[in-house]
Amino acid sequence: IRAPKAPELPIVERRNWLIHQHYIRKDYETCKVFIKEQLQETNGMCEYAIYVQALILRLEGKIQQSLELFQSCAILNPSSTDNLKQVARSLFLLGKHKAAVEFYHEAARLSEKDWEINHNLGVCCFFIKNFKHAEEHLNTALQINKHHKTFMMLGKVHLLTGDTDKAIDVYKRAVENFPENTELLTTLGLLYLQLGKYQKAFEHLGNALTYDPNNYKAILAAGSMMQTHGDFDVAMNKYRVAACAVPESPPLWNNIGMCFFGKKKYVAAISCLKRAHYLSPFDWKVLYNLGLVHLTMQQYASAFHFLSAAINLNSRMGELYMLLAVALTNLEDGENATRAYEQAVMLDESNPLVNLNFSIFLYNHGDKKAALDQYQEMERKVNLLQDSSSSAEFDPELMDMAQKMRAALQVADNVVWTKPGKDSKSKPNSAAATKTPGAPLGSNQALGQAMSSAVSYNKNIQLPTGTNFTFCRQECEWVKTHSRENVSVKLVQNAHSDLAWKSLP
Amino acid sequence: DSSLPRGQVWKWLDAHYDPVAGLYTFSSCVDLADLSGDGESRLVVGDLGSGLSGMKLKVFQGTALLSESTLLDLPTGLVAFFMDLHEPRIPAVAVASGPCIYVYKNLRPYFKFTLPGLEVNPVEQDVWQQVKEGQIDPLTMKEMLEGIRKKADVPLSVRSLRFLSLETDEMDEFVQLHKQQPIKRQTVITCVGTLKKSTADEDGVSCLVIGTESSNVYVLDPEAFIILSKMSLPAPPTMIDVTGQFDVEFRITVACRNGNIYILRRDSDKPKYSMELSSHPVGLVRVGKNVVVGCTDESLQGFTQKKLWRTTLPAPIITMAAMDLPTRGFQGVLVGLANCEVHLYRDKNLLSNIKTPDVVTSICFGRYGREDGTLIMTTKGGGLMVKILKRTAIFDDRDGTPGPPLAQSVRLNVPKKTKLYVDQTLRERENGVAMHRAFYMDLSRMRLAAAKAYVKALESSLTPMSSSLSEPLKMNAVVQGLGPTFKLTLNMQNTAACRPVMNLAISFLYDENLYRMRTPYLRIPLLVPGLIYPVETLVECTSDKGISDIIKVFVLHEGKGCPLLTAHINMPVSEGLMLN
Repeated sequence: IRAPKAPELPIVERRNWLIHQHYIRKDYETCKVFIKEQLQETNGMCEYAIYVQALILRLEGKIQQSLELFQSCAILNPSSTDNLKQVARSLFLLGKHKAAVEFYHEAARLSEKDWEINHNLGVCCFFIKNFKHAEEHLNTALQINKHHKTFMMLGKVHLLTGDTDKAIDVYKRAVENFPENTELLTTLGLLYLQLGKYQKAFEHLGNALTYDPNNYKAILAAGSMMQTHGDFDVAMNKYRVAACAVPESPPLWNNIGMCFFGKKKYVAAISCLKRAHYLSPFDWKVLYNLGLVHLTMQQYASAFHFLSAAINLNSRMGELYMLLAVALTNLEDGENATRAYEQAVMLDESNPLVNLNFSIFLYNHGDKKAALDQYQEMERKVNLLQDSSSSAEFDPELMDMAQKMRAALQVADNVVWTKPGKDSKSKPNSAAATKTPGAPLGSNQALGQAMSSAVSYNKNIQLPTGTNFTFCRQECEWVKTHSRENVSVKLVQNAHSDLAWKSLP
Repeated sequence: DSSLPRGQVWKWLDAHYDPVAGLYTFSSCVDLADLSGDGESRLVVGDLGSGLSGMKLKVFQGTALLSESTLLDLPTGLVAFFMDLHEPRIPAVAVASGPCIYVYKNLRPYFKFTLPGLEVNPVEQDVWQQVKEGQIDPLTMKEMLEGIRKKADVPLSVRSLRFLSLETDEMDEFVQLHKQQPIKRQTVITCVGTLKKSTADEDGVSCLVIGTESSNVYVLDPEAFIILSKMSLPAPPTMIDVTGQFDVEFRITVACRNGNIYILRRDSDKPKYSMELSSHPVGLVRVGKNVVVGCTDESLQGFTQKKLWRTTLPAPIITMAAMDLPTRGFQGVLVGLANCEVHLYRDKNLLSNIKTPDVVTSICFGRYGREDGTLIMTTKGGGLMVKILKRTAIFDDRDGTPGPPLAQSVRLNVPKKTKLYVDQTLRERENGVAMHRAFYMDLSRMRLAAAKAYVKALESSLTPMSSSLSEPLKMNAVVQGLGPTFKLTLNMQNTAACRPVMNLAISFLYDENLYRMRTPYLRIPLLVPGLIYPVETLVECTSDKGISDIIKVFVLHEGKGCPLLTAHINMPVSEGLMLN
């Protein structure tokens, strides 16, 4: 008897191309239909169908299931690096970095010179905080293929190990290779901003904005730099773009608020700052700015509340205590104002304004000796600033004020100079009105003298080293000085704009 | 293009749109050719049917379906090419499907070419030989085949794979059925292209270039259908582009499933260059010497041997095709996007944007009928769309920089402040000092009141927490029941780090006219740190007047008069009456 003719068995891989075509077109539903069909036809022996099924599951967030499928792929075809790589990738996504590293090493044994393996090994090592190995793997990956992701990661590793110079080198190389990558440009720009290299920072941020005018991070950073230079309208234009993209960003509304403040639209400034405060109630910078704007608006009682809230959140900043002291002085609470000033002077290290304001306060309260001490302390800080950077600029109003103070202290017995003392007792709301007497006094001083006792216009950038897991948080602040009155009132304005940005996890 | 900025005219004429043409196809399965030699170009489509059945080869002329013939398997690629020098010059159509190429001439089946079988593992062959001769049983064979699958370089045949997936009771039958046949290993075609044989003429004879699942590229002789050249790749190819002449010099650009692009040249059977992409390529189009690749990360990238440029697209790419208009010297790339748009790019500059009613899944540009610049698209819903490029249309590169984004002119949404707010501001300015003093006074009063209450609580051990160093305790009380009998549960916890507390007792203070306690004095066992000890007792309400009172609980240390902690329990009103 002849055996019946055997049926032709369908080729296992016959629909692989179709599955692939739908997978890359992100048509996952159709893809799943074909996968199901193919697995039925081959009794589950079609490796590629399982592989794509696992990829889709992973995209849908079912990582554990995808891991199991990849593992069965690896059983069907143990010699495939792709299967091992995907097993490792799923493990990585499940947070099992050490297990992932093992699988990547296994895969590396099968395929040398693989960018993906080396890059991912670097990322895994980064997460288990093995920065030395991470750096090695990432460098190897870069030798195989210059990829922007690898540059990004290597830069991050350097930043986390505190090696900013190396990080900058990496990002520079990256930007050379990818001159149009906005993420790299922005990151490099922000790094330069942190280091105070404003020219370079602005150049890179500007480039980033050229290629992607909607880049939120770059807009915020560039906008804050424009604000520093007083280009409020230009900054505002940029912020409008960001406000469409990220309407609920606290730093953005903070910066917009301070733009309005710079344009002397105080009510709008308060509106924006209050929105920022609503969106991020524990951000001391917003509270600081709110305090500042209220001081300007002569709403000292409100200013007091915002400033004391800010101090509760950040009790290590001298300038905050100084502003609080200004508010308290205006609320005629001399005792607490003195305490706040003492705290401010104790905490502050480089800002001469703190000492100047304290000096003026003491002088107005008749303690000339202590006032002189504070004045000398201020001069010391000014000299220090001038020594450390030749480009230190000083606010003319501040210089003017210091000059008057100097004169007042030197000729303390002079009858002419008793006038400021009287002014200090004037009501806060008359402050603006008494501005005129200051002018003739100031004009008596010789210009040279003014320069010698110059006080700083401090345009510093604060750099907290918040090197936490998601990368650093950067904020830039700038200090601006406005004296509201001749000698008696010492309102120092200090606007903070900040930009908080996160990199991709 | 509905979204054209001012000053630009419509470039495309809508020639035909049939939303229910029922076509399911890819750009690789669509071609235009003058199939009858009358100077009128037809549209040939390899239709995948439902994807499982109903595959057809369809030919369109004008707006009508001219003919259709059934295909046995899914078409993976379709090309029209000249296979001989006969006059009149009529191209043949090659349809790649499974392991075969079906060649149609004059719309009639003409020739079938099957790819050569792949090498079969000799050990596998040996195992089947043994089972055929009855030397081993199916179970032993299964073990041996498993062994081969794990180690061998040459993969198993379909038959062995199917055998391995069978249950034990099905094996015998399967072996009986198949053992007489020789073992075959076949691969399938994944993409197909054409390569001019020896002349660059428009109607010169072309070879077929075939990419296979087994990661090979074959060049077929068009007349004898023999393999002229075989090349290998590191991964299965997905898209192929060919330029040059086989006899002179050629370049085959292949996108592979591992996300890389390889370039094959005449003199080598291995790729000459490779380009690693960051994501999978969806479309591959050659423009002159440059290769334009569309990737799954919504980017369009230009390459020669190295990367030239990259631009980001607004949506995922679905398909791509070349737009070649030799009469005007125009070359561009058409990109079908998932947001129902088709973009035309020259290098990285967007020249034109066509809005379509559905997502376009395949694009073909060329001569259709007697019109040189025809754009043919099929949609996801199966529609067929034909557009004709206006002869007056001019594509000029728009300025690459898009200018300020629209959002820049949107007004900021700054909350307005009310009159009341302004009034309050003025009031604060005038009375700021008084307001602050009042606030300060109230704050001081509140602090004083809080401090007083705290001191009082501490002095009388009224807190439910004891912070004494030797016996740090915590207690809470729960009253259960409706009355007249209530269950009183006191949860005691020793909050010390490691020291147990001993010799504690609980006593109660209550109005004896109202309540009766089952056990008015309780001894507490040793308290191990951290654990919660529930201490229970029953309380009976003896009054039927519906009133309630406070029961005070004291935790005492033996030998000390002062309680460690005190709790006041507000008893609920008894809802049940005592039975006398």
